[in-house]
Amino acid sequence: MTEVSLRALKKYYGKTAALKGISLDVNHGEFISLLGPSGCGKSTTLKCIAGFEEITQGGIFFDNQDISHKLPENRDIGMVFQSYALFPHMTVAQNLAFGLEMRRVSKSEIKERVMRAMDMVQLTPYADRYPKALSGGQQQRVALARALVIEPAILLLDEPLANLDAKLRDEMRGFIRDLQKRVGITTIYVTHDQDEAMTMSDRVVVMFDGEIAQAAAPEDVYNAPASERIARFVGNANILDLAISARPEGGGIETRLPGGTTLHVTASADWAGERLRIMARPEQIMLTAPEHGQLGGRIAKRYFSGGHVEYSIDTDCDEIAVVGPTTQNLKEGDTVGLCFDPARLWPMPDDRDGAAP
Amino acid sequence: MKRFRAYFLIAPTAALLFLFVILPYVTVLVMSFRAPADGQPYGQGFSIGGYTQFFRESYYAISLPQTLALGMATTFFCLLLGYPIALHIATASRKWRGLLYGIVLSPLLVGIVVRSYGWTILLGNSGVINSTLRDLGIITRPLPLMYNNFGVILALTHVFLPFMVLPLLSSLQSMDPAIAQAARSLGAKRLTIFRRITFPVSMPGVQAGCILVFVLAISSYVTPSLVGGMRVKTTTLLVIDALIDQFQWPFGSAMALILAVSAGIVVLVFARLTRMKWN
Ligand SMILES: Nc1ncnc2c1ncn2[C@@H]1O[C@H](COP(=O)(O)OP(=O)(O)OP(=O)(O)O)[C@@H](O)[C@H]1O
Ligand SMILES: [Mg+2]
Repeated sequence: MTEVSLRALKKYYGKTAALKGISLDVNHGEFISLLGPSGCGKSTTLKCIAGFEEITQGGIFFDNQDISHKLPENRDIGMVFQSYALFPHMTVAQNLAFGLEMRRVSKSEIKERVMRAMDMVQLTPYADRYPKALSGGQQQRVALARALVIEPAILLLDEPLANLDAKLRDEMRGFIRDLQKRVGITTIYVTHDQDEAMTMSDRVVVMFDGEIAQAAAPEDVYNAPASERIARFVGNANILDLAISARPEGGGIETRLPGGTTLHVTASADWAGERLRIMARPEQIMLTAPEHGQLGGRIAKRYFSGGHVEYSIDTDCDEIAVVGPTTQNLKEGDTVGLCFDPARLWPMPDDRDGAAP
Repeated sequence: MKRFRAYFLIAPTAALLFLFVILPYVTVLVMSFRAPADGQPYGQGFSIGGYTQFFRESYYAISLPQTLALGMATTFFCLLLGYPIALHIATASRKWRGLLYGIVLSPLLVGIVVRSYGWTILLGNSGVINSTLRDLGIITRPLPLMYNNFGVILALTHVFLPFMVLPLLSSLQSMDPAIAQAARSLGAKRLTIFRRITFPVSMPGVQAGCILVFVLAISSYVTPSLVGGMRVKTTTLLVIDALIDQFQWPFGSAMALILAVSAGIVVLVFARLTRMKWN
């Protein structure tokens, strides 16, 4: 069942286009992240869905009903803002009760639902505190509870964790995700943090310049990005520019690495042309003894980062980033062999400036 | 050492405060208890005659509630007119905001005497309003627009409006716009948002503006004397009268202190009633 449907949504601020035609279907109970760099139109999309911005063209549908021109107060949404936007003159309990009062819920039911909501976000001891007397994380949870207590059809969150410190952010990620699963509410979550988008979402929608570049499961966005720009945005990516040497009968493409080794790329469509640009994620490359690798190189830099070791390796194919286990005893200056996993190599269209898409 | 340096930093301010605020008050306080004398501002010895005279003679005593009421009315009308203006400026686009700001502040560029005099030209018996109405045949006898509370409150409201708008504006502008959006997403309509969110959240500005206007209004001299034409007796006018015309310094000082203390009590009660636990 489709809950939210954006159809060719366009939004202009004066002459500048913030959204250039967004089409997206969000399923019931799905957790969707809008991921993209600053200024790509994530917040604008969310504001259009919430109704705070009038759309220029296209349509927004909730449950197949056109709500493009409905007022925000009639859209049945819950929204969490980056600044939390708590009502400073109301206690936690009063903040939570506000939406229910607007819906003319009876006093006794308000009391009960507010209690339940506070319990859900573990804020019961703070019921009578004013927002100013709460920590950032607590304010965040009030904002979340205030949006959920009205039991809206859709939950919208605009960078809700941006103002928290790293540790609290990790905690809240899990908290929001669990809560969303428990409540089963359709959720659209805006972030510019790819880790956040990956760990929380059922589907990640990558946006660039007011357009959707790719909408797919986190694994697919990471392992099978639709373009180089996405590949680089959602993590570290090595891009190898290789000559195509053969197109074998059995499928796939054979390319030749500098040094003469043949690299068979299995996941591939029919790529025309002479060359292929392939993405290899740093943790998908293995370092071995020089004679075992498909490509030789020398360790230029080595960074220990706790759980793993990051290498920068000079090869005949540019500099390649590799992430390896800490059990490997390698030093800067060592010569090594690089082993690629053919199944994980991902060929991509060349979308650099000036290149045809 | 650190503490010493902190004191050192506030020393100049403290000195100024002492010299220009505390010292004059003490002088006035002492003066108010001086014995009156003929032909001199004050005589030898001390007396509470100044205070008893004020409360004994209704001519003077009545001016106190009259002054406070005048101040409250002015404050009320300033709030009534100032709030929509501030709200409008706060939500205006950047281009308009500067212009509106200028319009609100421009009266301050014209001296208070000129502005008050302007009102006498408008409101006088042969002023612009009355003579126009007479020429149109709508009235035969001039409307009493001046030399009464109506005229004084009108002029005071105009004169002190900027002092209401500015604190309101700063309060409204420092409000996170997302707060109103959050209220909307929770189902609140425009008027509800104003009543339940915007107005209460702007309360610090309301409080500051009201106190400022009230204090300025009750202590103003030029406007009540020009527009009221000595027929609206405020305590401030009587103070000046006693000090300068009648040369009775102890009595004038006593009245000044009575007004100051009364105003202080009104302000305290107001602040208490509008106290914000959340701020
Ligand atoms: N009120 C506005 N008036 C004019 N232009 C605007 C307005 N709001 C947003 N824009 C423009 O629209 C584009 C998209 O803005 P938006 O706020 O959606 O970006 P975003 O993806 O949320 O970025 P960020 O991560 O920085 O929040 C930007 O280029 C921005 O300058
Ligand atoms: Mg944004």
